[in-house]
Amino acid sequence: MNPIDPRIHRALDGELAREDLPRELRLVVERLEAAAALLAAAPAVAGLEPRVMAALRRPAPSRMRRLVRWFSIPHAVTLRVRPVWSLALAAAVALLTLVPIDEGNGPVLGDHEGIAQFVGRFPDAQTVHVVGSFNDWRTGTIPLEDRDHDGVWRATVVLPTGTYEYMFVVDGERWVTDHLADRLVEDDFGRENSILIVRAARR
Amino acid sequence: MRGDPSDTEVVARVLGGDREAFGLLIRRYETGLLRFATRMLGSRDVAADAVAESLVRAYRHLASCRDPSRLRTWLYRIVANRCKSYLARRDVADVPLEEAPPVADVTDNEAALERAEQLALVARALAQLAPDQREAFVLKHVEGLSYQEMADVTGERIPTLKMRVHRAREALLQVLEDHA
Repeated sequence: MNPIDPRIHRALDGELAREDLPRELRLVVERLEAAAALLAAAPAVAGLEPRVMAALRRPAPSRMRRLVRWFSIPHAVTLRVRPVWSLALAAAVALLTLVPIDEGNGPVLGDHEGIAQFVGRFPDAQTVHVVGSFNDWRTGTIPLEDRDHDGVWRATVVLPTGTYEYMFVVDGERWVTDHLADRLVEDDFGRENSILIVRAARR
Repeated sequence: MRGDPSDTEVVARVLGGDREAFGLLIRRYETGLLRFATRMLGSRDVAADAVAESLVRAYRHLASCRDPSRLRTWLYRIVANRCKSYLARRDVADVPLEEAPPVADVTDNEAALERAEQLALVARALAQLAPDQREAFVLKHVEGLSYQEMADVTGERIPTLKMRVHRAREALLQVLEDHA
């Protein structure tokens, strides 16, 4: 792109009478004006009034609806930041990324709480729950899940530290001992309960 | 006989509850706004959507128009911002060229065809410009705004706008000369 004679700009900006231009520059001015006239003369299809007025007669969307709409539609967001602040921001992000954080993404545990994981294989079960001394042997309070549909049911719960006895309840009626537990103990009803020891997660 | 009411009078009527009076403002400015948006976006359909949305927005925020006597530039500003939002979301290269020469008709004479081809050439050259240069050129030379009005529309300083118009002229002239 070649810069054009500044007098052409001045003439087009009304700062210089075009009679004062040499003929060749005047032709350039006329050429640009003709191009602009073409763009200006091209018909613009009007007739927006019915459409706009119909929109105005409809009740305006609620504030919540507009908020939801704003969040759900892509927007171009421009942030104007001084370079020095962008450097500081980059340094802060790097610091947060590089400095290890002890706590994982799991639940926040108290000093006397630990995580208990229950796993049992029940290929034909519809529901599996765990009951034990931690929930007063009440069924239906701690369900296990089989998300993969591979017959292996799992549950993870936070419990106060301590030693508990527990069993699985399959399909709401069949009480099953977890034989994978480290220890088993016979209860007053002649069944074997599994033993769970919950230790504090924090050190 | 009383002439058409001024923008200030119409705005006062609308703000006073006469919603239908807004139709007068639409009829008054839609042609220029549509032409501007079409040149910015390269498509009449997209431009019609942009202007319609802008007018609805203008109505809903009419009370925030601090100087109704300068309603025209206020409306251009809303449409310009709408066009920029659209262009920011769209692929830069995706500027449709609706100004292709019309299919020749037996009734077309040679001059009309040449004019259509020239228009297609200029429109294509305009589409190649950076959006801020395109905006400045169209506001100045197609819509006939003064640099002060352009500053009101765009929020830019006058020297910046002059520079953009100059760059746009140079780019357009280059294209025209290449095809002379």
